[in-house]
Amino acid sequence: MSGPVKKIENFKVEFDEKRILTLIGYKKRPKEIKEPIKSLIAEEKKKLDNLLHPASIYTIIDYAVTNKHPIFKDAEKVAICVCTIGPELEQEIKKLMEKNEMTRALILDALGSEAAEEVAIQSDRILAEKARKMNLWPSKRFSPGYGKWDIREQRFIFRLLPAADIGVRLTESCMMVPRKSVSFRINFYKEQRLSTRKKGT
Amino acid sequence: MSTQEILARMEKAMVEGNKEEAEALAKEATKQRLDLNEVIDKVYVPGIQKVGDLWEKGEYFLPELITSAECVKGTMSVLQPEIEKSLISAKSKGKAVIRTVKGDIHDIGKNLVASMLAANGFQVVDLGADVKLEEFIEIAEAENTDFICLSALLTTTKLAQKKVIEILRKKTSEAGVKFWWEVHR
Repeated sequence: MSGPVKKIENFKVEFDEKRILTLIGYKKRPKEIKEPIKSLIAEEKKKLDNLLHPASIYTIIDYAVTNKHPIFKDAEKVAICVCTIGPELEQEIKKLMEKNEMTRALILDALGSEAAEEVAIQSDRILAEKARKMNLWPSKRFSPGYGKWDIREQRFIFRLLPAADIGVRLTESCMMVPRKSVSFRINFYKEQRLSTRKKGT
Repeated sequence: MSTQEILARMEKAMVEGNKEEAEALAKEATKQRLDLNEVIDKVYVPGIQKVGDLWEKGEYFLPELITSAECVKGTMSVLQPEIEKSLISAKSKGKAVIRTVKGDIHDIGKNLVASMLAANGFQVVDLGADVKLEEFIEIAEAENTDFICLSALLTTTKLAQKKVIEILRKKTSEAGVKFWWEVHR
C-alpha cells in the first residue's frame, strides 16, 4: 500500500567542525587553522542563514508495491526520502567561482555538503522512529549509487515521491538538482537482521 | 620600493595566500615597468614551487594551495594585459582543454584543477560543465591542445570519459601521435 507523502521543513542545522575541515582538504588536523583560511571559514559560515533552506519529503510504502529490488527482499515496508538544502547555496558558490574566490567556494561547498548530510541524518532519525512505532526494525539508510544499489535506482525514488514539491529534480543521468540533496531508503523489517540498527540509532 | 623588495614581497604574499597584497604588488611592478616575464620567472615559479613543497611536507593543505593559486590568477590578470601590450609572449608550459562531461554539472573539482594548472603556467581553455562530447573534441582539436581534462562524478556520466579515450586513441593512432591517459580519483 502507498502511504501519504509528507514534508519536513523545521530543521536546525548544526555543523561538525572536524568534518568541515576534512571536507575542505585537511586530511589530518593541523595544530591551528592559519589566516586567511580561518577568517574565510568564519565569513562563509555567517552567510548560511540566508543560503540554507532545508526540507525533506518522504513516504512509507509496502515493500510489495516497490520495484522489489532483491538486495532489500523480506522488508515489510520501505521509507523513501529526498532531502535538500535548496538552490541558493549553489548559486552563491557559482558567483564565488566566477570571481576567482575558489577557496571561499570550496569552503561553502563543504558547508553545503555537511548541511545536506545533517538534514538527511535528522530525516533518517524521524523515519527510524516511525518504524519503531510500527513495531518494525529499521535498517540503515541506503542511497542510490552506493554499494550494490545502482545510481539508476534514483528513478524509482523519484517515481514514488513528488520531490519537485521541495524543489528537487532528477536529470537524465540520475543526478539530483540542486546538487546538495540526498535521497535514501530505509527498509522496515519484522525481525532484527544484520542491516537493522540498534535501539536509539 | 626596490625591484628586489617588490619581488620578495610578491613571493611572500603568494606563499601566504595574501591576494590583496599580491595584486597591489603586481600593479606596482607594472607601474615601475619591471620585466614582467622576469617577475613570472623569479616570483611565480619559485613561489608556486615553495607552496608545493609545503604541501608535500604536510604543512599546507588544499585551502592553502588554492589560495596561492588564486593569488597567481589574480596577479596574472594584472600582468597579462601588460605583457600582451608589450608584445612579449608569456611562457606557457602547454595548453589544456578542460570540461565536465555532458549530463554532469559537478564543476567545483574541475574549476580547482583549472586554477591549479593556470597557476602552474599552463594555458587553460575551460569549457565549463555539461559539455557535449562532439563539441569538446572539436574545440580540443581546433585549440591544438597538449592535453585534455575531463571531469565526471557519477557512474552514469563517467562513461563519457571512456568514450573520449576510445575516440582519441583512434584519432591519435591514425595521426601517428603518442596518446597517454590517466585516471585520478
